Amino acid sequence: MSIQPVYLLILALLSVGLLISSLEYIVKINVFAPDGLLSWNVMQLRWGYRLRQGWLGAVLQRLFAKSGLTALFSLRVVCLVLALAVPAGSGVQWFFLGLVTGSLLLTTVITFYGSDGSDQMATIILITFFLCWTPFATPGLLQMGIWFIALQACLSYCIAGVAKLISAEWRGGTAVYDIFSTKSYGARWASDALKNRPWLQMLLCWSVILAETLFPLALVLPWPFALIFLCWGFLFHLLNAVIMGLNSFFWAFLATYPAILFANHQLTALF
Amino acid sequence: MSLSAIHLYEGFIGVFLLIWLALTVSCQFETHRITQFIRAFDVLNLIPLWTFFAPNPGKQDYHLLYRDKEQGDTVGDWIEVDLHEERHLLSCFWNPDKRDKKVLSDVVQDLITMLQAGAGQTDKTFLVLTLPYLTILKAVCTRERNRPQAACRQFMLAGSHGFNSGKDPDFILLSLFHPL
Repeated sequence: MSIQPVYLLILALLSVGLLISSLEYIVKINVFAPDGLLSWNVMQLRWGYRLRQGWLGAVLQRLFAKSGLTALFSLRVVCLVLALAVPAGSGVQWFFLGLVTGSLLLTTVITFYGSDGSDQMATIILITFFLCWTPFATPGLLQMGIWFIALQACLSYCIAGVAKLISAEWRGGTAVYDIFSTKSYGARWASDALKNRPWLQMLLCWSVILAETLFPLALVLPWPFALIFLCWGFLFHLLNAVIMGLNSFFWAFLATYPAILFANHQLTALF
Repeated sequence: MSLSAIHLYEGFIGVFLLIWLALTVSCQFETHRITQFIRAFDVLNLIPLWTFFAPNPGKQDYHLLYRDKEQGDTVGDWIEVDLHEERHLLSCFWNPDKRDKKVLSDVVQDLITMLQAGAGQTDKTFLVLTLPYLTILKAVCTRERNRPQAACRQFMLAGSHGFNSGKDPDFILLSLFHPL
């Protein structure tokens, strides 16, 4: 299995999610306004004295103002499109990926409230790309990067599953209904559909616990069986996007699936 | 780049990624002292917490309300800041409103953690200089006055229990009155 198409597919899937999330930030740029929840005037208090004083303080004040952040998110959008357009594995692509990675790291300085697991997965993938998908990359380095992304993805599902397994609310089958009943992460129709159906609530909770906990098997099972986990993941993230509004998780986690597929292919070839 | 330099780079990256993976595994137990120590250095949030909605699933919607007080101690009605997005089918693809909601949810969680840490203290004024308190105060105080003579403003945080619950909302925090 050739590795370059795997990198390209991951980048394409991740880019869709990052484009959406960057444009969403541009639309909601007022959250960074002086009267917004993420105003730099307040957020800078988290950081040390050095980040607030001197030339660095002045630069950050301008960068984390509405206009500065609009420019930063716009730059990210442009660089993502260009990274997809230029030849794969070239120095130019590496440069654009570096800019996207840099912009993601820079915004974490002000978005420590409000960022989520999809932002973290996107950052992990992009840093890995920047370190491993270099113009001078060896096959070993390229494989290392793909394996790291696959392992992080499997780890994320497995840890989420184990954390649910030790939770009485998840084991008791009430967690999904409780979450779907909130305005923040639920929907009235989903809550109503589950309301008087404890068996369905239990089924949903345990299907999530089992599928997440056992997800690392996707690395070692023969291909048709491993595919079951990836199909489950696809449906899981799709439903989370529809019911919970977690649209960015869909793209960030789906982007790791080509890496899991590659790792599975390499591992099962050994036996 | 020479071949030996490339191999050296490859080895360095291999070790770096292994350490990153090991740190990710070891930092999944939030309350552990080592986790807290490592996370204190993770300023760019590079070590994820993959426990999504577990072990305690978020079962509450948070509400932020504020009211104004005039010089003569006349207090106005509570006004709720609208922080919940109305989702529709397109939201599974395009959902910018989720950002405000997540920010407030994170800020309130941070504030609750601080409240729990100071559970033994009857005087909660230590919260006034914390980042989550100031974040909410700033956002609330920059909103328009609802009484022309308003001199100070107070905010309240509450948590409700979802669509199908008959339970009353929980009170979380009542701030001091702050001059406008």
